[in-house]
Amino acid sequence: MPPPVQVKADRNGFTLVPDPAASLDAIVAFMDERLERSRDFFQKTEMTLDLRTRPMRTDEISVLYEKLYEKSKVKVVEVRLSDELSFSMVAERRTPRFVSKEACVGPENNAPLIVRNTCRSGVRIVSPSDCVILGDVNPGAEIIAQGDVVVFGALRGLAHAGAGGERTARIWALSIEPNQIRIADLMAVPPQGVKPAPARFEVAEIENDVIRVNCL
Amino acid sequence: MAGKTIVVTSGKGGVGKTTTVANLGTTLAKKKYSVVMVDTDIGLRNLDVVMGLENRIVYNLVDIIEGKCRKEQAMIRDRKIPNLFMIPAAQTREKNSINPEQMKELCSTLAAEFDYVMIDCPAGIEQGFKNAIAGAEIALVVTTPEVSAIRDADRVIGLLEAAMLKHISLIINRLNAKMVKKGDMMSTEDIISLLSVPLLGVVPESDEVVVSTNRGVPLVHDRSSKAGAAFRRMAARLNGEENLPLDGDGSHGFFGRMKRLIWN
Repeated sequence: MPPPVQVKADRNGFTLVPDPAASLDAIVAFMDERLERSRDFFQKTEMTLDLRTRPMRTDEISVLYEKLYEKSKVKVVEVRLSDELSFSMVAERRTPRFVSKEACVGPENNAPLIVRNTCRSGVRIVSPSDCVILGDVNPGAEIIAQGDVVVFGALRGLAHAGAGGERTARIWALSIEPNQIRIADLMAVPPQGVKPAPARFEVAEIENDVIRVNCL
Repeated sequence: MAGKTIVVTSGKGGVGKTTTVANLGTTLAKKKYSVVMVDTDIGLRNLDVVMGLENRIVYNLVDIIEGKCRKEQAMIRDRKIPNLFMIPAAQTREKNSINPEQMKELCSTLAAEFDYVMIDCPAGIEQGFKNAIAGAEIALVVTTPEVSAIRDADRVIGLLEAAMLKHISLIINRLNAKMVKKGDMMSTEDIISLLSVPLLGVVPESDEVVVSTNRGVPLVHDRSSKAGAAFRRMAARLNGEENLPLDGDGSHGFFGRMKRLIWN
């Protein structure tokens, strides 16, 4: 049986590759043991978490992150979701050797997070910049972005644009019929009753301290 | 030849998972396929009651997994159909007395012997759900046209996709054609557009279902029942037999067509 996590080392540092069949508990236990065994070697290192073969929920990632940090100050600095998509776990800018090729788009790491499927109930997506969803956002899903939220589909769940307080952030969707939308510190719920189908695209933005949804 | 392992799940309770398993299993067995139904709802078993086999249980699923009996000892043969079997869940145990790996192993050994392995999943998304989906390759998500059931179905579909299950189909249960027409209930189209998974079939709301459950005889034995006919069509589609039209409003047949012609 393969180990629950493979620890790979290359010139960019360490990469953790969890086994597709491994449970979170097994991964955490294995890492505990591994870090205990070679405590000095891994002390205060930075690691990349490779989730291309074993998808994890955000709460699982945060559990793993905290466990690694608690035990031996190992920091997960980057999470790789697919070949094109990876995101940084650190708020400050990463040292150049940790910037992956994909993330190096602009002078700052502000590439939008692109999600290529429908966000179903229970999904929570947090983006440090803009967030683009190619699919619907169903009731019970949460999209939280520091910048704009763009949905190429119907927005029926919760969307929060400008989560860092950016009042000029906007929410774009083919149809906005959410439980609730938030922009910066403001919150809005849709009016009661049926709404005519939008012609093309709808955008929610702040006008005079209230969130308005306009048809484009 | 390896058979198909199918899990029937929903998230929300009371939407008709067990009824679906009993009826689809019975229909497939009537078509001369060998079928085994596994109840994984440990602690709250129901499938035995719906099949009318509650007084024949000696061994159960947990006994097989703990090695207290051979799996043949726990399989209960149906009263009418000789190639239909059921493995009951344990009533006096907890969901965590089995784990997904054990379930996976059991499913693969059953799939080697049977054409169809139907798994009845418990409500919820905890341990019992994880056990039930572990060994399955096809998932049928049952929902009713209620917002709460659809929300839960959506969550379950997300979890099934995360568990890398490739084949997910939807069953809409208890659709009331009259209420849909009046606009008081979500229509089949609304539900599909929200959940965006292929539809396997629609079961009309019917009092016969309650009667058949209480009698412990699956509805598909009754040839006149509309809900039974819906289950028979679903089983045919599941079997890849024919490409039947999806008539969800319950008004099929000659009179239904006439009525539709007049009404529209």
